[in-house]
Amino acid sequence: MLALKLLIRNWRSGELKLLGVSLILAVTVLSAIAIFTNRLEATLLVQSNSVIGADTVVAGDHTHPKEWEGEADNAGIKYTYSNQFMSVVYAGDEMRLASIKAIAEGYPLRGQFDISDIPFTLKTNEIKTVKTIPAPGEVWVDSRLFSALKIKLGDKIAVGDYELKVAHILIREPDATNPMSMFGARLVMNIQDLPQTHIIQPGSDVNYRWLLAADNESTLNKFVEQIKPKLTKHQRLVTVKTSQDRLSNTLVFAKNFLLLTAIIAVLLSGVAIAIASKQFAERHTNQVALMKSLGVSANRVRSLYFIQLLLLASGASLLGLLLGSAIQALLISAVQALYNTLFMPASFYPYGLSFASGIICLVCFALPALWFLPHIPPLKILRKEMKVTRSQLWLQAIFAVTAVISLIYLFSRDVRLALIVTAALFVVFLIALLVAFVLLKLTKFWVANAGGAWRLAFASLQKNAGQSVMQILVFSIAMMLLLTITIIRTSLINEWKIQIPENAPNHYLTNIPADESERLQQTLEKNINQPVVMMPNVRGRLVEINGAEPTEELRKKHNTLQRELNLTWATNLPEANKIVQGHWWDTWKKSEHQLIGVSVEEGTAKELSLKLGDKLRFSMGGLTLDSEIASIRSLDWKTMKLNYFFIFEPHALDQFSPNYMSSIYLDEQHKPFLYQLLREHPTVLLIEFDRIIESIRTVMDQVTDGIQLVLWLTLIGGCLVLWAAVMGSLESRKQEAGLLRALGASRQLILGGVLIEFAIMGLLAGIVAILGAEFLVLSLQIFIFKFPLQPHYLYWLLSPLLGCTLVAALGLLGCRPVLTTPPAIVLREAA
Amino acid sequence: MSSALMLDVRAITKTVNTQEGDLEILLPISLSVNAGESVAITGASGSGKSTLLGILAGLDIPSTGEVYLNGNCLTALDEEGRAKVRADNVGFIFQSFQLLPGLTALENVMLPLELRGNKQAKSLAMDFLKHVGLEKRLGHYPQQLSGGEQQRVAIARAFASQPKTLFADEPTGNLDSNTGEKIIDLLFDLNREQGTTLILITHEERLASRCQRRIILAAGAIVSDSNAELGA
Repeated sequence: MLALKLLIRNWRSGELKLLGVSLILAVTVLSAIAIFTNRLEATLLVQSNSVIGADTVVAGDHTHPKEWEGEADNAGIKYTYSNQFMSVVYAGDEMRLASIKAIAEGYPLRGQFDISDIPFTLKTNEIKTVKTIPAPGEVWVDSRLFSALKIKLGDKIAVGDYELKVAHILIREPDATNPMSMFGARLVMNIQDLPQTHIIQPGSDVNYRWLLAADNESTLNKFVEQIKPKLTKHQRLVTVKTSQDRLSNTLVFAKNFLLLTAIIAVLLSGVAIAIASKQFAERHTNQVALMKSLGVSANRVRSLYFIQLLLLASGASLLGLLLGSAIQALLISAVQALYNTLFMPASFYPYGLSFASGIICLVCFALPALWFLPHIPPLKILRKEMKVTRSQLWLQAIFAVTAVISLIYLFSRDVRLALIVTAALFVVFLIALLVAFVLLKLTKFWVANAGGAWRLAFASLQKNAGQSVMQILVFSIAMMLLLTITIIRTSLINEWKIQIPENAPNHYLTNIPADESERLQQTLEKNINQPVVMMPNVRGRLVEINGAEPTEELRKKHNTLQRELNLTWATNLPEANKIVQGHWWDTWKKSEHQLIGVSVEEGTAKELSLKLGDKLRFSMGGLTLDSEIASIRSLDWKTMKLNYFFIFEPHALDQFSPNYMSSIYLDEQHKPFLYQLLREHPTVLLIEFDRIIESIRTVMDQVTDGIQLVLWLTLIGGCLVLWAAVMGSLESRKQEAGLLRALGASRQLILGGVLIEFAIMGLLAGIVAILGAEFLVLSLQIFIFKFPLQPHYLYWLLSPLLGCTLVAALGLLGCRPVLTTPPAIVLREAA
Repeated sequence: MSSALMLDVRAITKTVNTQEGDLEILLPISLSVNAGESVAITGASGSGKSTLLGILAGLDIPSTGEVYLNGNCLTALDEEGRAKVRADNVGFIFQSFQLLPGLTALENVMLPLELRGNKQAKSLAMDFLKHVGLEKRLGHYPQQLSGGEQQRVAIARAFASQPKTLFADEPTGNLDSNTGEKIIDLLFDLNREQGTTLILITHEERLASRCQRRIILAAGAIVSDSNAELGA
């Protein structure tokens, strides 16, 4: 096969290497990102699903109909159960209210249990991750319960009428619903033991959970749609989205970012391939002219080159795919070891897509540059100076844009993202072209006084203004894309950090008796060296608004009206709260109002259409409290502090025997202190939010690490573009340098000229890049990520500096042959 | 020597459009070349030699007139048709050798044979390289060869596909006189052996004098067409 022979010869002679390497790298980067993100996405989804222990849960105060299980079996859906309820458990003389979760074999469908033999530990070497459930006759208990009941491992705990052995301490569990629950101290037992406890009787308050999972998302969705109409008003569907909005947001952010990175990798590779193809085509002009003079027809030339390209694309794509999957395997194993998480396998899609993208890249980026080859007139072999009609630039642009849009779409499957990125890039391209041209023209003014190497550099820049502008454009596009991804990444990580601020409260103390609150406050302040605020707390419902009961419709719409609320009073406006309407108690004229004043959270006021002066009636265990809205407050939910929808005027709730609540930040080192604290205040309940924060952080760290690695891969793509651009000008530089050296120019002079020329191009590219990157980031922030807008001053300094250094270094490295090849050889080759 | 007509040129002209108006490069030219004949076309720079060679070889078409190569009317054919005629009849030797830098000497010679689908490409190419004295340079790349060696590779490439007519454009133009002499010997030896029709452009008296016939061009017109004494 002649085409294969020619391909091998072309490869060996180095003519195809840049093109081939660009393509291999393109597919490597693309496949590594595609496979990695696919696996990361699948894993994050499963891991976030571990938050509810399944993909979807049917929860309610009645069990699900048994016939649904048959339907689930038929649909290939996996399922298991858990029953959750509150009950007092006993150990010796100690008793405690516990949140009991009785689970069946196969629980959890997603995620796993972390157990230990040491209470309150967060040390990985003391924690064991298990996929099993407690054996019949055994229980796993929460550290809080362990401490409160003063038990040790192997002791017996009585749950109802049945005694169970404490086998392990529960550190982390999936499906830890409502982490803010007042009574979160958990006990996990095997569902087989449940009948012996005799706890569950008709009318018992039990949360029956039917957990569902499927390997195929659409299978599950179909099944869920099928049972949705059959759900009673006592049953509801729980998904990750409904249960953990913050985590869902993280996933969306991460996915968008990784997609964007993939797109940028595609673009960088495309530019590298286009440049390499142009060089290949230039080198082959003579070969084709020779072939045609020997009587080879245009069609034959076309097919010979097309087959070569196709073979190259297939080989490079395959190799790139192998390298990419090896790289992603390395990444995954690193991340896996770090986080002790098993990654899900990738679907076929990223493999197929990566292979296809290699072919698409070559066809759309390389083919237009090579299109003119079959049309080279045979006479060109005799007349070197003869002009050859190249493919029209607009034709090449159309091909490139088509490739970009289709690849963005294939990678993201998101039309909006594809269109936004393409439109923004188009505008940026035009602006960059204009700015690069103007900047280059401005350098003319420096030339007048330049001497030596500077004169050489400026002369070279000006002589071929068109080529210089194109090179600056290529450099700037690569840098711009890399800057964009870096800025977005930083914003993304910052945004996440803002979501959970450092030193945010991570422990909540509830059920503190009024007479112990002051003593506890002092003990805490002494031991953890931070001010502790005790908030009185009364549970109550909002039952009337302006003398009327809320309508059924309003009640259905608003969560606030459906449940008991935590109500409090405060003298000082709590931190991170702001009065937006009305007065806080210090300026509120009580004498002018007959009712007790209440301050309402802004969102709640808006939802329920409440305004200043509205009258609200609350019911607390049969007693009622009438109040009048004195102020409307905004508050920052992200602070993780105790936040209240309704805050009453001082001492307004004293008659309802409040207990107290507090939120504190406690590091791991202070954890043993908790043990002692719970012994001294046996009624106090502790909610350890640090574990929940930690699990969210783990996922975020995982995503961040993935992003870092993907960024490095993209950076390689960017460097390749720069390299291709340097290589593109190598031939003409060689000739010039050969001539200069033959005329007696020193190595230093040529070296200086090259260095200055590339440094100037890098500097100009750096300026164009940051301008473009700001524009891209702006459009992405507005349309995709919805971050607050901010300028990136540091990058305005860094971009030109980095551009200057990087491009100068690459230029010097690439132009080494120019300096090391003897002038005689250079000139002979040129002839 | 056969007396069949290999090339028949009938009143061809070549005019090109320039910014200053039409420029006549070739005035009406007619000539014919018999098979096996060797013809030197000489003339000053700008006399139209290269343009004439391009048209005779079917690489270019005249503005008016007709060219018949081995009985095929080149001017009546499209580029694809002319390509076929070239494939069947024509070989080239160029002043700047036109070896492909990425291919070895052997591969350069093999290329036209492979393009014609010749299964014996490798052994034939090796034979011809041996014939031009480069059997030890088979794996060398053009830049590893001297100018004379490169032109010998080009000659081997031209003769390997056994063309009926060989067109040579200043074949010794880039060589010193000693090397040029050797190349001329080689060219005429092979020409004689294979009975190829040889049409060459040259400035060199030595080379022109070896041809059976010499055509002198001046300002696009034939000013002399004489059969020289047989030099080879």
